[in-house]
Amino acid sequence: MLMPRKVKHRKHHRGRMKGRAKGGTEVSFGDFGIQALEPGWISARQIEAARVAMTRHIKRGGKVWINVFPDKPVTQKPAETRMGSGKGNPERWVAVVKPGRIMFELSYHDEATARAALDRAIQKLPIKARIITREEAF
Amino acid sequence: MDVTLTVETGRPTGTAAARRLREEGRVPGVVYGLSTEARSVSVAWPELRRALSTDAGQNALISLTVDGNTHLSMVKDLNRHPVRRTVEHVDFLLIDPDQPLSVEVPIILEGEAPKVDAQKGMIDQLMYTLPIKARPDAIPTQVEADVSHLEIGTALRVSEIPLPDGVTADVDGEEPVAQGSPTRSTVIMQQEAARQARIAAGEATEEDLAIEAGELTAEQVADGASASGASSGGDGGGDGADES
Repeated sequence: MLMPRKVKHRKHHRGRMKGRAKGGTEVSFGDFGIQALEPGWISARQIEAARVAMTRHIKRGGKVWINVFPDKPVTQKPAETRMGSGKGNPERWVAVVKPGRIMFELSYHDEATARAALDRAIQKLPIKARIITREEAF
Repeated sequence: MDVTLTVETGRPTGTAAARRLREEGRVPGVVYGLSTEARSVSVAWPELRRALSTDAGQNALISLTVDGNTHLSMVKDLNRHPVRRTVEHVDFLLIDPDQPLSVEVPIILEGEAPKVDAQKGMIDQLMYTLPIKARPDAIPTQVEADVSHLEIGTALRVSEIPLPDGVTADVDGEEPVAQGSPTRSTVIMQQEAARQARIAAGEATEEDLAIEAGELTAEQVADGASASGASSGGDGGGDGADES
């Protein structure tokens, strides 16, 4: 799973996710992309699950790009612990995603298969997302 | 030049004013070029949409009427809303019909690559638009690149793309446009075959290859060997050698 090699601070604040994506809103590498329509945290496990779902469906050929990186640590206190005694332990890594962000890209020669693969990947994500193509009509 | 567009000058600038314009069905924009002062303009969205929906796409030559004067222009930049994908702002560049322009045209890959298919590979397109220099009337709507001669490990270069007369590529001719590359599953199968061949030839063991690949460390292999030796009970000759 994706995670940073080393970090400056082990524990982060949660932060706010208002507004829309500032960059990464165009399909840059592949022919198709998955675009976020809601803000949210995408965990490393979900990114990996989406990647696996996509690559298994296309079987052979094609190329997948992951445009988001889970660089934010999320802490959790152990179960049945009394409150207090400081912040919990880092448990997982998430990527902060805002509406408009292209999270995954895929290049594949057959559009129907590519769309089916991306649909499967979207099912693994915790936010609303849609498929977007490089060529856009007006 | 068959696309005409009339823009209104003197629009109020600023976020709120631009938002009001968009609600009225107009797109805020700016006109500049040919050493003229940049002017804030607005254009009706249905007209702009029609102008951009030709085969030439964003490179369409537009006869732009600004304050009663008509100039040749083209769309230099378009800003789209990241979620709604509507056009939020447009830049018009006034152009001289006799001077060459730098624009980007889409690259369309033509043909199949039988050698790549035979080797279970794929065509990887690295460049989707080609920067070119051409006079406005010579700008092609797209350029076609033949990939039928490609093999795995070879690339189609910019210099190999046939361009119409009067058009030159505005990028290094050695830049790759597309390449034949092995698919992920083919690479994995080849690696596995090479691994099995080395094991069969007695050049290496499973553990050696795992250490080479970084899957295991030498200590883990040694620990595993000693643990298995202890669990088997009595067969400790190898373990003794390791410990000594």
